Amino acid sequence: MNPAEMNPQDMHQIVLTVVLPLLAAFLLPVFGRISMTFTRYLGPIVLLIGLLSTYVVWGEMTQPYMIAIGGFAPPTGIVFYIDQLSLLFTALVLLMSLLLWPYHRDTSVREYSLSLLLAGAACGLALSGDLFNIYVFYELASVASFGLVAAIASGAAYAAAIRYLIISGFGSVLALTGIALVYTQTGTLNLAQLALLAPEQLSNITGITAFLLILLGVGVKAELFPVNTWVPEVYATAKKRVSALLAGLVSKLAVLVLVRLLVLVFQTEQALQIMLLLGVLGVISGELAAWRAKDMSRMLAYSSIGQLGMVFIAFSIPGEAGLYAGIAVALHHLLVKPALFLLAERWGKSLEGLRGAARVSPGGAMLFVLFALSLVGVPPLPGFWAKLLVVMGLISQGAAMYSVALAVILIATVIEANYFFRLAITLYAKTEAGEKTGEETEPKAHARLDIATSALFGAALIAAVVFIVPLGQQLKDTASQAANVKTYISTVFPTDGR
Amino acid sequence: MTALDHLLLFSAATVLLALLVGQRPYGGWLSTVFYAGQFALLMQLAGVGYSGGIIVSSFSLTVLDHTMSWRFDALSWFFAVITIGAALLASWYSAGAWGKKFRADGGNIGLLHLALALNVFSMLLLLASGDFLSLFVGWELVSWASFLLMVMAGGAASRAALKYVTYAMAGAMAIFAGMALAYHYAGSLQYLDFVSVLPLLSASQGWMLVALFGCGFAVKMGLLPFHLWQAAAYAETPGPGAAFLGAISSRMGLYAIIVVLFQLIGLIPIEALKISFTFLDGQSLLGWVAAFSIIFPTFTALRQNDARMLLAWHGIGQGGYMLLGLAAGDALGSAGGLMHVFNHATYQAALFFSVFAVVHQTGTSDLNKLGGLITRMPISFLVMLVGIIGLAGMPPMNGFVSKWMVYRSLMLEGMPLLFVASVIGTLGTILSVYKLIHNMFLGQLRLEHQNVREVPWSMVAPMVILAAIVLITGMMPGLVLEPIASVQAALGLPVVNYTLGGVDMASGALDMIWVCGILFGGFAIGAILFYSGGRTQHIHQLDNYAGGHFLTADTRYQYSDNFYAGLMRVIGPMYRYSFQWLENSIHSVTGLLGSGMKSWYRNAQPSFYLLATAVLAMAWVVVL
Amino acid sequence: MSVIEILIEAMLMPLVAFVVGLFMVLMMRKIGARIQRRVGPPLLQPLYDIIKLYSKHTQTSHGWMHDIGIVMAVGGYVAAEAMLPVPGMNGIAEKGGLIVLTYMIMIPSLGLALGVGQCANPNGSIGIARALTAMLAYDVPFVIVVFGVAWHFGSTNLVEIIAAQQATGPAGWGITEMPLLAFAGLFALQGMLGKQPFEIYVAPHEIATGPMVEMSGKHLGGLFVMQCFQLYTAAVLYVTLFLGGGENWLTFLAKSFAVVAIPMSIAFVFPRYKTDDLVRLLWKWPVMAGLLGLAFVMN
Repeated sequence: MNPAEMNPQDMHQIVLTVVLPLLAAFLLPVFGRISMTFTRYLGPIVLLIGLLSTYVVWGEMTQPYMIAIGGFAPPTGIVFYIDQLSLLFTALVLLMSLLLWPYHRDTSVREYSLSLLLAGAACGLALSGDLFNIYVFYELASVASFGLVAAIASGAAYAAAIRYLIISGFGSVLALTGIALVYTQTGTLNLAQLALLAPEQLSNITGITAFLLILLGVGVKAELFPVNTWVPEVYATAKKRVSALLAGLVSKLAVLVLVRLLVLVFQTEQALQIMLLLGVLGVISGELAAWRAKDMSRMLAYSSIGQLGMVFIAFSIPGEAGLYAGIAVALHHLLVKPALFLLAERWGKSLEGLRGAARVSPGGAMLFVLFALSLVGVPPLPGFWAKLLVVMGLISQGAAMYSVALAVILIATVIEANYFFRLAITLYAKTEAGEKTGEETEPKAHARLDIATSALFGAALIAAVVFIVPLGQQLKDTASQAANVKTYISTVFPTDGR
Repeated sequence: MTALDHLLLFSAATVLLALLVGQRPYGGWLSTVFYAGQFALLMQLAGVGYSGGIIVSSFSLTVLDHTMSWRFDALSWFFAVITIGAALLASWYSAGAWGKKFRADGGNIGLLHLALALNVFSMLLLLASGDFLSLFVGWELVSWASFLLMVMAGGAASRAALKYVTYAMAGAMAIFAGMALAYHYAGSLQYLDFVSVLPLLSASQGWMLVALFGCGFAVKMGLLPFHLWQAAAYAETPGPGAAFLGAISSRMGLYAIIVVLFQLIGLIPIEALKISFTFLDGQSLLGWVAAFSIIFPTFTALRQNDARMLLAWHGIGQGGYMLLGLAAGDALGSAGGLMHVFNHATYQAALFFSVFAVVHQTGTSDLNKLGGLITRMPISFLVMLVGIIGLAGMPPMNGFVSKWMVYRSLMLEGMPLLFVASVIGTLGTILSVYKLIHNMFLGQLRLEHQNVREVPWSMVAPMVILAAIVLITGMMPGLVLEPIASVQAALGLPVVNYTLGGVDMASGALDMIWVCGILFGGFAIGAILFYSGGRTQHIHQLDNYAGGHFLTADTRYQYSDNFYAGLMRVIGPMYRYSFQWLENSIHSVTGLLGSGMKSWYRNAQPSFYLLATAVLAMAWVVVL
Repeated sequence: MSVIEILIEAMLMPLVAFVVGLFMVLMMRKIGARIQRRVGPPLLQPLYDIIKLYSKHTQTSHGWMHDIGIVMAVGGYVAAEAMLPVPGMNGIAEKGGLIVLTYMIMIPSLGLALGVGQCANPNGSIGIARALTAMLAYDVPFVIVVFGVAWHFGSTNLVEIIAAQQATGPAGWGITEMPLLAFAGLFALQGMLGKQPFEIYVAPHEIATGPMVEMSGKHLGGLFVMQCFQLYTAAVLYVTLFLGGGENWLTFLAKSFAVVAIPMSIAFVFPRYKTDDLVRLLWKWPVMAGLLGLAFVMN
């Protein structure tokens, strides 16, 4: 397990993805007073640099490796663990932040700053190998998202942000309690060491309680039932780019954290069962609520809850199959949901007001149909293949709970198809001459960028269809690598493991 | 590159063509030519259709460790002939005057051509599927292509299409679950592995598979109780689209049922699945579902006042005959069921063409607003006459032959109640189609329709071709029975003993050549007797018995509304609308649950129940 | 049996049917007269009526479908007669069986319905609607009978059915082996003949003879011919299924006339049922009898 083939310089480059954005975030207000133009371009440049380093590392990496921050060896020091999964998510964080960057002219420096903060914290979440570090980055990301949500400065957004803050704060307390429980049981917070100690010391009641608390705490971001009541209000009232970022990206990172914990530390049947139960409840509540939603942003928010419920169900399948299915669904959602939110930027108002909107924005309507088809799971789009993995994984489990989950997912798909295509039909409905079509007058540039970005996501979706076979293989390798606990432990503790 | 690849690629090229030039005036004609090309390519595969065997596509795809392959056998070829034929004639119908008027009225003719081409391509993919995954992929593509065709007209059509897509997705998810179960039992999605593991399954496992696959495919086919979406969806689709859908679209469900239930699982294991506490088993359940699917929609059609809805409801009913014949299981029944697929396609398309010709010229399909068009549109009348005789299943048309075979097989198998049920369906059909032709073409010609003329030849030609096919295959059913015999051989069913004129059997054969010959001879004798009896004087329709009154042109002297008043007084109370009640209640329950979930999320004080949740979770952990 | 022989038979059988039918119509009118305490028409009156109608000076028609409808009505029966075996002639009875015959006798009704349609008279259309409703009503017990008979004899080939019955003599006739079905069949026969009490489709006082309202001259003459065929066909079908067919012409004619006499006697002492009552009646007793008989036959 010797990553000696890699150039140490290249190895450590990955830290830039966390450090540079954080640094830039704190320095931006200063630069903002000096030169606005420079401030405006700094963010994307930093993200590009991070992306570049990720690309270099990806090209050179042959097996997982770890970086001991500051040279302090684990378990005392903080560790960054880099394998295909974390690298993939780091790349996605940077890419998505870049695509969903607030390019509008009137964005304030604070927003740039917060966006960079979110990006840096998210990268940290993806790369961390230490519970404490994870908690810190998690809090950082939370704070950044509070600010971003409230940045639109409307009364409704403030109310939503307060609600989000309360629930998130409550969740953080729960998570911290859970982490504390883990520490009292095992005396360490390093994930690899926990993986070693977990089988004896964490498979008791305290262990399960700890997992539950952490699950509920981190689950706030991951839109887990029942701590996801902040989702509809926030996604509906914040700027749609922020909603896209939260729904598409940040939620997946929270899920990633939970998955790492599940795979390494809490590999018990009860843990999987809890996730399954909460996932099922999430699917049911999300999709049914979406069916009755009266405006597009809320509809997408509820749908997001439902999809993430399905992600949780997927991850609750034991073994490599579960990881594979979960990653596939999570990635697919990450591709589709932000694009839909971008479309909702123009269309986020009442659903009835969208009658005939396809006439005004034919590209947008067509993209909406494409994304809806993929979400529902129509072959040959990627959404179908992801769902196939989940279904095949669920059917191979014997417990009754898994069959119930399968039935719930299938029924939820039907409901999903109904409300998405209800909206699609409304978009294409013929309106009488002179009737209001629901379009507002907006600065054209804004809208064009949204549609272009959305179209980019659409193109990526189509490309995923064309390259589905190699993509599937790649994800399978990533999943099997992530599922291998021994590799993790021996990478972090190269000599023997204790 | 095998012949199958040529066909599939050419079909994909047709889609591309429709996308590029569908809007142009010559787009319809070019599409028609391409469909003719597809038909020619299909004829190159005719060896498969007539002598059996399989043609495999050289293209196969392995995704996520599942291999998808495509192949054509006799069954696929048979259905493909009907599909491409229907598309060819529908495209022809839409190419000339109909297309011009459609575009002038604001319709999107390019989208119609595109949707039609997509439907044909996806259906060919479904027919060519060689394993469960490609079957499912093809199935979804067919469902969504049909959705596109149904939704394009807007308004009532889009409401019906939304209902359709909900039903279709529910069916697809049932199939998905069945497919997952099959994978779980067999370890792969290949047909051969599935067949080898079947004998090892228990009764309940077998029932799950049959129920999931059966219900999933039944949604598309419009079998009870999943039929409520079909009539409105097919009726509101624009002209040629409705003809195409009515002819073949729901039969894709039958194709899938044949492949999975009859070919893979087989009728004998299905018969072995018994329902406890009753005398029913899987086979008789299929038979009874089919019988009810004949009766209920036919008698619903009886009440319709819109010609398109009437035909659409009959389309649902005729599907029952096909399944009934196949469920009977013997050579005659399965041949009858399969032949009915072909027959139904021919006369249903002809009837829709005729009805839409009238709509084209008069602007309405409301049976209470038409009448007497026989003098103005004689060819449309003749086509409709041929169509309704076929639909009713009377000699000399082809509908009679397939129904005869189904009746005969029910007699031989000793299923009297099913026999009576299917005949009741036929009788109801006769009543209903007479009302159709009477209210449209017979009776008094309205003042506003005095100047209506026959439709142009671009619309007449496909109608007449279909009517000719109905007549010719009725007189010489052996033409259709030949490929059907090879389909039966391919499916492992007993093969029917066919001749050019019909069926050769010891205890009651059928020779349509003789029967039709004598029938036409009888007509000839009748004509001689009639026309030799002196000249007739043609009188105006207003020169009519009116109890002593004088009729004037503005007097409405037509009996059309509530045509079967006496019968409706008797059977009216029997229309309970139970299925609609069921559908509405599911809708309401979903709405209720949805509102409940929404209010959960809008709860103003989240902290309280968060605390409660955390406490409950701890309690759960402690207890368990 | 060469093609020529079959064709010759196919032309002779309708001729026989027409002649016998004429006498059946005469018998019907005589029975009616005697019941109503009249003398009744002379021997060749039905023929005279047809000749009179054909030779009328004024022949009016509402259109070509009106004419073709009558052609179909007559021609359909002409063809159907070729499928009903008589002593010595089988015609095309073996080319199509009981089921084909059942549908063949629907063709004349369809032709008539189309012809009446073009007359553009609501009385006619109402009459046809009622006639079709009546057909739905009487055909339900009729097909039960058809099924039962076909099951019992193991064939739908009329020639075989007759042979099976004649082989065993009166003990093997349909009526002795399947009495309930025979009763149901007779009930359905009453409906098929369209005479009281199932004559609502004509209803002279209410809808001016229904389908016949605009028929005159040779159109009405054609319908008279059709009536001859109709009586003959119904009678001979019943004789074939239940009374052992005809061993020779004497017994054949005797049985056929006897079968027609029964419904006619009943008809002339009854008024007519309303459509709903007709439907309910025909769906109740004959169906129950038929199903019961079927249960016995199939065990």
